[in-house]
Amino acid sequence: MASLGVLDSANLNGGQKLAVKYFTVAIALFGAQVLFGLLAGLQYLYPDFLYGVLDFSVNRMLHINALVVWLLFGFIGAVYWLLEDESGVPVVGLALGNLVFWVLTLAVVVVVGIYLLVQVGPGEMKSIWLINEGREYIEAPRWADIGIVVCMLAFFYNVAATFMKGRFTGIGGVLVLDLVALAGLYTAGMWYTPNISMDQHWWWWVIHLWVEATWEVLVGCLLAYGLIKTMGVRRKIVETWLYIEVALLFGSGILGLGHHYFWIGTPEYWLAIGGFFSALEPIPLVAMVVHAVFDAGHHKLKSTNNPALAWMIAQAFGNFFGAGVWGFMHTLPQINLYTHGTQWTASHGHLAFFGAYATIVIAFVYLAVQKWRGNVWMSGELVGAWRWKWAIFLLHVGMIGMTMALLIAGYEQSQIERAIEGSGWMGYFAAQAHPWFQQGMTWRMISGWVFAAGFLLLAWDLLTIGSRESRPARRLEPQEAMAVS
Amino acid sequence: MAEMTTNYWWASESFWKKMAIWITAASAVVLIFLTFDTVAKITAGGKRVPAYSVINHRIDYVFDEKRNHQVPVIGPEEPLFGRSLSESEAAELVNKGKLTVQAKNCMNCHTLLGNGAYFAPDLTKSWLDPAWGSKEVREQSMIEFLMDPSDKLHNALGRRMPKLGITEEEARATVAFLKWMSAIDTNGFPANFKPIDQADTPAEAGAQATPAAAESSPVQ
Amino acid sequence: MLQPVELANFFTVFFSAALVILCGALYALLFAWSRVSRRPWLMPWAYAAYAGLAASVIVLGRAANLFDGGLWTIVIALMLVGYLLAPHGVWHLCVGTHAQGDGKDPLSQPR
Repeated sequence: MASLGVLDSANLNGGQKLAVKYFTVAIALFGAQVLFGLLAGLQYLYPDFLYGVLDFSVNRMLHINALVVWLLFGFIGAVYWLLEDESGVPVVGLALGNLVFWVLTLAVVVVVGIYLLVQVGPGEMKSIWLINEGREYIEAPRWADIGIVVCMLAFFYNVAATFMKGRFTGIGGVLVLDLVALAGLYTAGMWYTPNISMDQHWWWWVIHLWVEATWEVLVGCLLAYGLIKTMGVRRKIVETWLYIEVALLFGSGILGLGHHYFWIGTPEYWLAIGGFFSALEPIPLVAMVVHAVFDAGHHKLKSTNNPALAWMIAQAFGNFFGAGVWGFMHTLPQINLYTHGTQWTASHGHLAFFGAYATIVIAFVYLAVQKWRGNVWMSGELVGAWRWKWAIFLLHVGMIGMTMALLIAGYEQSQIERAIEGSGWMGYFAAQAHPWFQQGMTWRMISGWVFAAGFLLLAWDLLTIGSRESRPARRLEPQEAMAVS
Repeated sequence: MAEMTTNYWWASESFWKKMAIWITAASAVVLIFLTFDTVAKITAGGKRVPAYSVINHRIDYVFDEKRNHQVPVIGPEEPLFGRSLSESEAAELVNKGKLTVQAKNCMNCHTLLGNGAYFAPDLTKSWLDPAWGSKEVREQSMIEFLMDPSDKLHNALGRRMPKLGITEEEARATVAFLKWMSAIDTNGFPANFKPIDQADTPAEAGAQATPAAAESSPVQ
Repeated sequence: MLQPVELANFFTVFFSAALVILCGALYALLFAWSRVSRRPWLMPWAYAAYAGLAASVIVLGRAANLFDGGLWTIVIALMLVGYLLAPHGVWHLCVGTHAQGDGKDPLSQPR
């Protein structure tokens, strides 16, 4: 084994070597997301900026596609990261896994190239096949859709077969079933229909059942593994809680789909179902609060990896505020009638995606870097710790700033555009010209720059953290943390 | 106390494993049943989502006392571009419009049925928007705007739609798609929308909304 | 049938809905903390947070026109009862699950 503090793939098992490739691309795409977000944000303030060259629609598409893809790369990486550890055997198809990684990465590069250079096509099926499906979040052309499904099947085979060859832990079982659902749901978003109501109906199957159901459970699996690793919590307890979370998340989340079926042409009973399950959706969050306090009271809060733990704590708060508070504020149909399709949604989306998902992927990348450097010390008094602390601080200040600015803009928009003017062309621009909106966009931009600074610091830290450490990581035996002082 | 055995069945791993499976399965089954019903109700040609040939008629958006929100009202025959289409011709035209909407990536600036991006106005009822000027010039205004919006007046902010290479055929199809979309029953979204005056006679017009303000029309 | 929120009530709806979730979390937090750290004097504060939650639910219900005597009133009732009982239930689950396998009640161990 190489000396401590040096990046050396000999420190990693087979799955982890593959994982760090995924993490590398994920962080690069996170950077792309920030970049295109900045460009799109600038276009609110300077409408002629890049007009006719890189229009808002292109920047916005790249902004949200980079988000989806970097999170997916992060999730796949995180699963490969824990796979050999959890199953107890090497990944069965590592060569296949590597091939899939390169195919996926190449496909992403080609799609980004098409988005940037071709942008739009004629109104024919061949545009849908080759250029752009024009459906928010899942714009990728159909050839890429098919490629994604094939790659996901190969990934799924690797995960399921490895667990079957080794041991099938509780985390492994939930993970495999969740991946089936995650991949299967993607196919619901691949079909073309002229009927916009039908289109939106199935589109939400992908978007909602990913982000409010299967992704949540995937993150539950990752957190469960992370808690065992960083805090030494006993496996039986963690896995029981994983099942409880699955029951609560799927119990409230699957039919929570209803809150997207208020205004797209779907029948009126969805108003009641959506409202009811939206009121239930905070229950898993309440459970997490009680359980976290319970755990904190019984475990000494010692961790082997402080940045990873900090990002996991950030996940708890981010998920609570972004999904819980920001979601519930505008989810009842009585108010959603006016907030639907305004900057309210953008405010909620920014905080919830960052809080619930970006945080956990970043936590895993910190775990990966630690082991990659020979399991180096990453607890208290880490050399150069200011970088990760300032990165997490700036990213949060930037994100909260953007969220609040968009909230104020959305609040004004819901009143002037939606409620008073009735959502026509003139009402729309009356709301866009309002000082609250304009100032909101300015503050969103300022916060965006802060966020970008935080991202640069994060990237720098991920490249260098632990490089000047010579202490081995703090050892944390399972049960030790459980021991009563 | 320390040796007290506390293995409650309701707190056991196996119990919650079963619960997780049963709750997920039950929710999924309910969702599938609802999906069958919903898909049937939103198939084009039904009460909520009309047949594509609805573009042969006037479409309005009127407050309904019983439902307590505005609902689309299918009016007298008023064919798009003055030519009445068969069901299959209408379906083909709307289909072309939807393909154009997707290929030109409209949803990454606009919202349709409230979903999409927030850089440009919602298109759910754009067919009925008074900003097109008048009922008489609406169709031509929309086509000209779609084909080259870059030199048309938009707003005081300077925000403009880019020229996306939309052909006249695609523009006509897009207008057909937008007209058809405005006839979908969206449970009253958007609320308080003020449709363009579509009345034929002055008496009828008196009961309708105020005329559009020409100065902020998208058309010069 | 829905009665959409009045323009004048927008802020009340957003604010009270946020307070429902925040008070719900504060109640859960204080409740669990009081028990886990054996500070019974915290418990009245936990219930004070619940009272805040209940008041917020009522305000939200009035502002969002949920007291129609039908389904939306049931949602209000379920929120009042559900958020009251959830921390209790979850607490019991915590105790029960952490006792699994080791035959010991973690709460009865000396600290």
